[in-house]
Amino acid sequence: MALRKRTRTRVYHYTIYVVIIALIVWAVLATDWPTVATQFANPEVAMKMLPGIITVGLKNTLLFTIESFTGGLILAIILALMKLSSIPPFRWAATIWIEFFRGIPALMTIFGFALMLPIALKVKIPGGPVGAATLALIVVSSAYMAETIRAGIQAVPKGQTEASRSLGMSSMKTMFFIVLPQGFRIIIPPLTNEFVLLLKDTSLFFIAGATPLTYELTTYARNGLSTYANATPMVMAALLYLVVTIPLTRLTAWLERRMARER
Amino acid sequence: MNRRPLLAGLAVVAAAAIALTGCASDPGSGTDTPSKAASGPDYGLVQSGQITVCSDIPYKPFEYEETTGSGQYTGFDVDLLTAIAKKLDLKVQFQVTNFDTLQSGAALLAGQCDMGASAMTITDERKKNIDFSDPYYDSLQSLLVKADSGIKSINDLSGKNVGVQQGTTGENYAKEHAKGANLVQYSDDGVLWPALQGGQIDAILQDQPVNVEHEKADKSYKIVETYNTDESYGFAFAKGQKTELREAINKELKALKDDGEYKTIYDKYFTAN
Repeated sequence: MALRKRTRTRVYHYTIYVVIIALIVWAVLATDWPTVATQFANPEVAMKMLPGIITVGLKNTLLFTIESFTGGLILAIILALMKLSSIPPFRWAATIWIEFFRGIPALMTIFGFALMLPIALKVKIPGGPVGAATLALIVVSSAYMAETIRAGIQAVPKGQTEASRSLGMSSMKTMFFIVLPQGFRIIIPPLTNEFVLLLKDTSLFFIAGATPLTYELTTYARNGLSTYANATPMVMAALLYLVVTIPLTRLTAWLERRMARER
Repeated sequence: MNRRPLLAGLAVVAAAAIALTGCASDPGSGTDTPSKAASGPDYGLVQSGQITVCSDIPYKPFEYEETTGSGQYTGFDVDLLTAIAKKLDLKVQFQVTNFDTLQSGAALLAGQCDMGASAMTITDERKKNIDFSDPYYDSLQSLLVKADSGIKSINDLSGKNVGVQQGTTGENYAKEHAKGANLVQYSDDGVLWPALQGGQIDAILQDQPVNVEHEKADKSYKIVETYNTDESYGFAFAKGQKTELREAINKELKALKDDGEYKTIYDKYFTAN
């Protein structure tokens, strides 16, 4: 007896629900809850991590992210303009910079700035290990954001430039007062996304080394992991990352929806 | 590797559980089971016929690769454990694990391996989550500096940057005794050493054997002091789980100490110049 198409679809859907529920039930039953509770959600350990994990860890993570983002954004605007320049060496330099730092893991860039530059060039980057790591993230984020900004500039209709030039504005003024502001409006969602990625990349600072006042969230949690021989601090850190990242990604989604409507 | 140890652990648990249930429902296809496992005592091994060992490799001279990428591990822990396993008629399989997940007991509880051997000091804090074997090595801490730095002892470290490894006894010792020093925390020795070479830090305070390696490799650095912290290394086991295996290893460790093989292995790594 052949099933009607709608019945078949329904059977198919119910099967999926049953499988999902079965998997959840199995996971709940199979989990060793007492061990999970003491190892991953231990209130005693959690109390010891507070308030430092927020006042030091989260604070530093946010601080480093904002520093890297701001520095990276400024550098990225310069790179984007170089990339669109009519002078070839500018274009080449920007392309090499962008391809190089987008092509290697952020961890290695941080390692390079914190440990290889001091050995190779005998230079000391101000701010110690964290200063070097922040500089590395500025460089990494500039490479990513430069491409985004270039796309934003190119998305502004040509007529805008033409109108502004015919009103007597210089090409410099046109870029900074007419094109860039409109370009930025378009790229706010991807830039927010980049901010979230950067926030998570600060967890790579551990490779550069850290002093007690500069522990970011992950380093702070890993110290807790060592000190209390318990994984609860890592769970706390994960939750604190989410507290920051989820509102931001929701904001991005909202901005994208709003912009889609305006078009 | 360090970014999501918990998720990785959970994934392994889940995978193991699925694998186990898969095996249970299919009892007929056991033809490729090693015959050795059936004859000898069953220690509840993750993989029969071999002891799977979690270790934060590299940590010279306790566990490292002779040639990077070869997967052939050597070192004091490796040689000692291999000798022990040989007496138990078992193989040894090393598995690289982050030290924090190992010493918190997470990797062991997750069933990633039967035991941990990672130059791990026996402490009361760790004993809460881990069962330790008998001590197999007494460790000293040491201070490594540039030979011409003028630093003679731990009392000269005020205002200096002192590199320590995160979560180690060396770090705790430095916190207590290096007065006025600016402690800079690194994830492992592979980063500490270039940091010292690049002048990011003025000294490294860590386990003596590791600093001995650096002293050997580059004569412009030297160990100026060693510190006895009354600490010993032990092999780690999941709390309350691998009792049989632990007892077997303790027994063979004692046998190796008695018949002189322990000393041969010890001298190979800690007394050669």
